[in-house]
Amino acid sequence: MEKAFARSNDSLTAIYEFAESILAANEVSDAARFSVHLALEELFVNMVKYNPEAVSDIDLDVSATANKVTVTLTEYGVAEFDVTVPKKVDVNAPLEERTPGGLGVYLIQNLADSLEYEYGDGQSRVTFTKESGI
Amino acid sequence: MFDIQHGDDGVIVCTGRLDAAQCEKGQAFMDEIADSSTLDFDALEYISSAGLGILLKTQKRLAANGAALKIINVNNHIRDVFRYSGFNAIFDIEAK
Repeated sequence: MEKAFARSNDSLTAIYEFAESILAANEVSDAARFSVHLALEELFVNMVKYNPEAVSDIDLDVSATANKVTVTLTEYGVAEFDVTVPKKVDVNAPLEERTPGGLGVYLIQNLADSLEYEYGDGQSRVTFTKESGI
Repeated sequence: MFDIQHGDDGVIVCTGRLDAAQCEKGQAFMDEIADSSTLDFDALEYISSAGLGILLKTQKRLAANGAALKIINVNNHIRDVFRYSGFNAIFDIEAK
């Protein structure tokens, strides 16, 4: 099921409700739902943050089967930002060496079972999957 | 929906979903904390990297004065996020 959302963090509640309705209807496990919501938020927030000049809505497509959840986000008129490029974060660093930020992409790459990125003609598309865990 | 407030027993009670849209509210509350404090996550369902950033920023500020945050009643999903992020080594965390 597909729906467009305004390019703003204020869309996050509506995005959660949209995705949750699909995940709940397909009896996706609690653990998989948490991971899907988290990866989805991190991707959406990244798109909002790193392409502030873009004005078009962000298209969100969420589907779920007994085996897996597939989520695709598409945005238009934006610069390339490949979220599949490995993000190095030293999660073992002591508190004094830790800095806020940078965890979002790291979490996406660790939570998703697969992560794909396509870019062309100003169109950026990210697709991730997660086992449904049913 | 996210809420944060002082509980009856001295702990700070967090409720709902701490996502990027709720960061400003969470950060404003945490900026008022000056001493070691306990956060009760019993009713916190969800946290994203934006929420983790608030916790980390507060912990670093408090550590400069020898204080720290303790987080209790953490659900399994949030505990996994803490583990992925290495937060279990820099916070005193108690599971539900």
